[in-house]
Amino acid sequence: MIKKFFAWLKQPLGLIAVGIVFLALFSAAVYGIYTTQQSPEQPIQFPHKTHVAFGIQCLYCHPGANKGPAAGLPSQTKCWGCHNQIVKTRDSALLAPLKDAVLSGQSIQWVPVAMVPDFVQFNHRAHIAAGKNCEDCHGDLSQMTIYENPQVLNMGWCINCHKQSAGDDQALLTKLTDCGTCHY
Amino acid sequence: MSTNLELPMFTNNSEAELGGRWGMVIDKDLCTGCQACVAACSMENNVPFVGEEDAGYGRSMQWIRIERLWEGLDGDYREVKMTDYQPLMCQQCHNAPCEPVCPVYASVHSMSEDLNLQVYNRCVGTRYCANNCPYQARVFNWRDYADYRETNTADNDPRWSVFQNQLNPDVTVRRRGVMEKCTFCIQRIHQAENQAKAEGREVRDGEFTTACAQACPANAIVFGRIDDPESMVSLAAETSRGSRLHEELRTMPRVTYLAGGA
Repeated sequence: MIKKFFAWLKQPLGLIAVGIVFLALFSAAVYGIYTTQQSPEQPIQFPHKTHVAFGIQCLYCHPGANKGPAAGLPSQTKCWGCHNQIVKTRDSALLAPLKDAVLSGQSIQWVPVAMVPDFVQFNHRAHIAAGKNCEDCHGDLSQMTIYENPQVLNMGWCINCHKQSAGDDQALLTKLTDCGTCHY
Repeated sequence: MSTNLELPMFTNNSEAELGGRWGMVIDKDLCTGCQACVAACSMENNVPFVGEEDAGYGRSMQWIRIERLWEGLDGDYREVKMTDYQPLMCQQCHNAPCEPVCPVYASVHSMSEDLNLQVYNRCVGTRYCANNCPYQARVFNWRDYADYRETNTADNDPRWSVFQNQLNPDVTVRRRGVMEKCTFCIQRIHQAENQAKAEGREVRDGEFTTACAQACPANAIVFGRIDDPESMVSLAAETSRGSRLHEELRTMPRVTYLAGGA
């Protein structure tokens, strides 16, 4: 039975079948990797560049960045603080989810994009204290609509910057490349 | 308290650095064995309950445990008496026996904090480290104990899901097949260091402490910098009542036990 099957695979038709199965698996793998690199669907098509163009500071909406581990995502009341004074909010289709959220009292379910796994303990404050700016990791948001990561947030990328920041300071290099600095 | 046993010793070529950084002193005369440190540690570090059945297999998970020891077991039972309670956690050895046996470098030494680390995302669960630990301080996740989502609990009781809300976000929730142990509350160390750095100063003695020391009602546990001769933990460790566990193994533990005081 199994011998018959292998013999059939060596026929031209069998070779084509093998090719099709291989292509299907390969494209599924490529698609799988592709989807992990896509920014998720957000409840509001939030245009960062518009807000940056108005001169709003990053810390106005993400106030936790220089105080603690998480930068934070704004609640609808913070959005509404400005938007209830803006005429466009009244009948813009893009802003309808915000209006609904405020009127119904439901929170906006933002989907975090710049995420690290649970076993990584990331702290924004330490990075701000070390003199890093938002755009060093998050890219130029004056050119961005919905936020997407400018690079893959993996450990090699973190360690590269840690090594560069330490420079010739051996004590700092030991500290910044210590496993226990991020993993505990 | 030196012993003269013919045991293989770990080479150490860093005599100058033996001072360490973080240390702990536990006064066994003060300890009442109330288990408050055990509860506090479990809450702080997301150490899960394993349930009755797995506890029966000896899979209980505690990062700190209260050891009870008895004296005079050879004689008449009327002469048997209990010694002091002995809270025991990872001793954060300088020459840690758990470290050289890990095939994937999940059990590594933190050079900057001088602590033994367990890197959960590297750990593949060989359990060599736990077998080589002379203090039996390491515990293994035989199941996804800390995953309190409804679908995961053994009895599918939705009430378990409330435990998801009490997990400490500063500490990784360990998965199945991962070894874990006391970290000297490294998340608190980092928090204090970050705070101190933001304010442009050094970490002050007594500014923060570990969960076990914080919870101890008898103040039997003191935690702090042992490289600072003025700190409370250094002063406490220098008394003649102090001893360290398994000193003959030259593991250089960072925990000093006080006993037999006046």
